[in-house]
Amino acid sequence: MNDPRITSYALGELTSRAREEFERDLAASDDLQHELHETLNLAKSLGHLPMPTDQLETEQRTHLLRQCADNQAATRRRNKVVRLWLPLSLAAAACLLLLPMVLPTQNSTSPEAPDFEGASAAADEKSDASALVAAVGQEAAKETRASAGLVVATAAPAEAPPVSETLALNAPLVVSAPAAPALRRAERSSEVAGSISTFTGGWGKGSASGGVARGRMESDSLARSVAPSDDFNTEAYNAIRENTFLAAQENPLSTFSIDVDTASYSNVRRFLRDGQMPPAGAIRTEEFINYFTYNYPQPVGAGPFSVNLEVSQSPWASGRGLVRIGIKGRDLPPTERGPANLVFLVDVSGSMNSPDKLPLLQRSLRGLVENLSAEDTVAIAVYAGSSGLVLPPTPGSKKSEIIAALDNLSAGGSTHGSEGIKLAYETARQNFRRGGLNRVILCTDGDFNVGVTDQSELTKLIERERASGVFLSVLGFGTGNLKDATMELLADKGNGNYAYIDTPAEGRKVLVEQMGATLFTIAKDVKIQVEFNPARVAAYRLIGYENRILAKEDFNDDKKDAGEIGAGHTVTALYEIIPAGQPVPGAPSVDALKYQTPAPVTDGRPGSGDLLTVKLRYKASDGDTSKLLEVPLAAENIPPFASASEDFRFAAAVAAFGLKLRQSPEAGNLSWDDIQKIARGALGADPGSHRAEFLTLIEQAKSLGLPAEDQ
Amino acid sequence: MKRMTPEQIITEALDRYERPLISYAREITGDLESARDAVQETFLRLSRQDVAALEPRLRAWLFLVCRNCALDHRRKVVRFTDDGIDDRQASEDPSPDASAMAAEEGGRLRQMVARLPEQQRELVKLKFEAGLSYKEMGDALKISVSHVGVELHTALQTLRREWRRENPEPVTP
Repeated sequence: MNDPRITSYALGELTSRAREEFERDLAASDDLQHELHETLNLAKSLGHLPMPTDQLETEQRTHLLRQCADNQAATRRRNKVVRLWLPLSLAAAACLLLLPMVLPTQNSTSPEAPDFEGASAAADEKSDASALVAAVGQEAAKETRASAGLVVATAAPAEAPPVSETLALNAPLVVSAPAAPALRRAERSSEVAGSISTFTGGWGKGSASGGVARGRMESDSLARSVAPSDDFNTEAYNAIRENTFLAAQENPLSTFSIDVDTASYSNVRRFLRDGQMPPAGAIRTEEFINYFTYNYPQPVGAGPFSVNLEVSQSPWASGRGLVRIGIKGRDLPPTERGPANLVFLVDVSGSMNSPDKLPLLQRSLRGLVENLSAEDTVAIAVYAGSSGLVLPPTPGSKKSEIIAALDNLSAGGSTHGSEGIKLAYETARQNFRRGGLNRVILCTDGDFNVGVTDQSELTKLIERERASGVFLSVLGFGTGNLKDATMELLADKGNGNYAYIDTPAEGRKVLVEQMGATLFTIAKDVKIQVEFNPARVAAYRLIGYENRILAKEDFNDDKKDAGEIGAGHTVTALYEIIPAGQPVPGAPSVDALKYQTPAPVTDGRPGSGDLLTVKLRYKASDGDTSKLLEVPLAAENIPPFASASEDFRFAAAVAAFGLKLRQSPEAGNLSWDDIQKIARGALGADPGSHRAEFLTLIEQAKSLGLPAEDQ
Repeated sequence: MKRMTPEQIITEALDRYERPLISYAREITGDLESARDAVQETFLRLSRQDVAALEPRLRAWLFLVCRNCALDHRRKVVRFTDDGIDDRQASEDPSPDASAMAAEEGGRLRQMVARLPEQQRELVKLKFEAGLSYKEMGDALKISVSHVGVELHTALQTLRREWRRENPEPVTP
């Protein structure tokens, strides 16, 4: 039977209308059912074929990642140069006038893809300009093509360049009047300019990226056609580099959202155990620090958490201080936490058929089920080629039923998540427990294919459900496929967390030891703002949290989403500080500001002994307005590192490890042995032996002889 | 609200797609070394792009560019060596580890896949090894989504037919 719908249906590729229609036909035809059955079985067998195993050589891989990082850094440098004044960029445009004549000859040798220009433009590796076009979305690319026609008509009639990348070069020529779009585009084109001639000029700071002036028709459509990459130039950039020292005088406020993810640590652990150096981009120091639990005291009073500040001298940079902000969420004993309504949404696609995926997932979830009380309920939904409810909501008193259903899961078929997630939410909503915990737990190896539903629709769904009180957590399994940005995004949108489970021990840690922290949110949208007292602190640097930096205005904006804290969860952040009176190394040579009055500190105590004040904003897990908590840190002197608490010293060792591993310029001069010594002296009670395991990880890093060791 | 840095996106893309990309490139080039070259070239090109803007369609982009790189390789081989064609055909024979497991069902299935026409073979790999959607496959191979559907369906029809011929019993997983 030659009906492609059979295959499309089996692979979850039909739109919902086509699917309904097909299912009607299906019901009417035995032949069709037979065909479908065979196709599903074949798809399952194909999904079961051993996955390819050939990889790059370790050296090739390391070298490649380094080169990629260099290229990105070079792009960033070019983009910086680009922030020229308008007259200069017009001058640049004039220089470019000649280029379109040259470029097309180069392009004519590269194969063209009319419907996917960014990519085929990229195939022309010699042209720096290709980077410009590839940044533009497909939709935009079409527009670009249209505008390119316009440009060609006015600017380069002699030879009609077929390729959109010439647009970027031509563009500044057309636009003489409307300033903002012109400059914005000029930013991009002078990326090319940068490689042709060297400009020196003012570093006009991004006034262009803000305003959007709508000019003549062609410049308007041009402006739109480059718009998608605008946020690349702004937000994405801020997040890339490790935080540098900021002078407290000019930047007294440091604002960030808390981060409860820990996936980076387990991921890096996998690299080291495999004898590979983890790429710097995989090392998120704050996730390292937060992988470990610290013994901060329970909150006193009604507040959801305690804030614990400590300061000592830095173990890796003499003369500097280290400040720790430690937050502890209130522990909720099972009797206080209200009933849990959990819906596991399990990916049972073919790729999950591997010992470190579905079997590990079953084992981990079994541990969680063991700890449920009779009030709690669990339901299990699966998704693959099709989705369905494997276990209706079942009370925690019927553990054997739940576990039997878990054990019966088997993998096969391709992944199609969107139907499954709808089903899971529906189940959670039908069984909604007021005053309890309502959560969908998505378990997958990362191939969360949203299929026909586009991604924004899916995030919208998750945000809608979040408003209705059903949250989403994501558990990632398996190697080589992990940490899909989609998954992390989904967990973020769903007020949930994202954990990566690579071993039974990790499953135990996330789902049994820290079940409260993983599942029971006690405060959401938690933001931290630290105000430094310039009278005491010359400069400061936040360790990690690069992706979580907020604008200072976001702190009081309740609409800004931020991180969540679970029951019993601890969140730790470290700042390096340079005490007042000491020089700030590497400070950008900006001339002193003329009109800035020194040190207006909020509560009028510039002379106070406070180093800083930590302000926390949070919302109750079911609230919409935030509350504010303020804790000052006063210290006459900065005490020596050796006298700091165990937790403090251990966190410092972990931070030092992360910095050294990523070869941070701020890593100081500790050797692996030094770091290990600090950690060994601060193991504490170490339930779960996670700290002891850290010692072996240092050992592994040392044996790899990372280049950092030679410095 | 959390954004990955371009470096993170690149690293994670390499983590996730290294193996399927190498396997896919090898389908085209016929040998592992050129497949590795093609994949390295793909990521170098990626690193010169606006990675953040590319991210939503990264997977299709990677396979498209990797395909171009692999095709370049193949063209070079054909152009510069006399027996480039032989090199090409090598990939259609079962690879050594495929014949080792030829006794098993999986091995036979693999051989059947290897006998499919080139485009269908690529689609099967993209779907079942790399997990691309029809839309992504269409983007990567520069063909329409409906064409993807028809080709993949034809491929599966062929596989089912051959399977039935070898196994009188209905297909079992």
